Amino acid sequence: MDDAPAPPVEESAPSSRGTVTRVIRAIGWTSIVAGVLILGFVVQQLFVTSWFAEQHQEALGEEATEHFATAEISEEVYVSPAPTDGTGGSGTIVDGAGGSTNDDGVPTGEPRSILVESAPELGSAFAVIRIPTIESLQEGWAVVEGVRVGDLKNGAGHMPHTPMPGMPGNSVISGHRTTYGAPFHDVDTLNPGDRIEVETAVGINTYEVRELIIVRPTELWVTEPRDGAWLTLTTCHPKFSSRRRLIVFAELVDGPNYKAIYA
Amino acid sequence: MKHWFLALPGPMAVKVVIAVLVALVALVVLFFVYDWIGTNLLDTGGTIG
Repeated sequence: MDDAPAPPVEESAPSSRGTVTRVIRAIGWTSIVAGVLILGFVVQQLFVTSWFAEQHQEALGEEATEHFATAEISEEVYVSPAPTDGTGGSGTIVDGAGGSTNDDGVPTGEPRSILVESAPELGSAFAVIRIPTIESLQEGWAVVEGVRVGDLKNGAGHMPHTPMPGMPGNSVISGHRTTYGAPFHDVDTLNPGDRIEVETAVGINTYEVRELIIVRPTELWVTEPRDGAWLTLTTCHPKFSSRRRLIVFAELVDGPNYKAIYA
Repeated sequence: MKHWFLALPGPMAVKVVIAVLVALVALVVLFFVYDWIGTNLLDTGGTIG
């Protein structure tokens, strides 16, 4: 019998192998969790938000239709800037009889009567925007009053303190480009001359695209008043980024107030 | 994961209920985190100002 002692067992090799296995396993699980979280984010942003927006759109469409039937519409006197005043404002809406000068004392044109609807409540649907050349907007997308985060989750939003669509001045409507139904996903495909319709309680206002530009999000001048009646659409640019804004300027070419504003 | 599940208090049925509740709360929190990231970084809605 050989009673020689067995050689000592080397503990370090299996132990270090176990550490490596644990590290690889941790990296693997971390990658899987990160992948699932990123995939979840994409699914939530592209599909879940749009699903919610579409559910809201059904209700908002009905709300807008009800608004068309119940909104108070009044006739007010509109005084356009004088034809010789090329840099004048967007005209003046006055109560009662019109005058021959505006607030700045600038001579003005003949007073005319335009239809004005009462201001909608923040968050409520009051209009429908349709763009025949953009498939997703051919049926129309409800426009709500306000551009708060919650307003824009439901539909396109009309910037308060800018004129209602169809009114003199510059009416501004903002909308998501890639999420929450992405109503303005394809507005970059618009060309000068394309039509945009905005239905309000007063009637259907038709605008014609004049210009598309890209600006920084802080460039407030795009919302400033303009001569005549304009619609300005604003959305994020490029897609999946909020770094810039895509702006569409469109001018009124037909509608209940068109003749009064442009005559 | 299995270790965490087994460490939950109570019998198996209670562990399952707690695990489901924790998963639901985590999903809701995750939804709001996604929503915040999306509306603040990805697509703000195109507002100016």
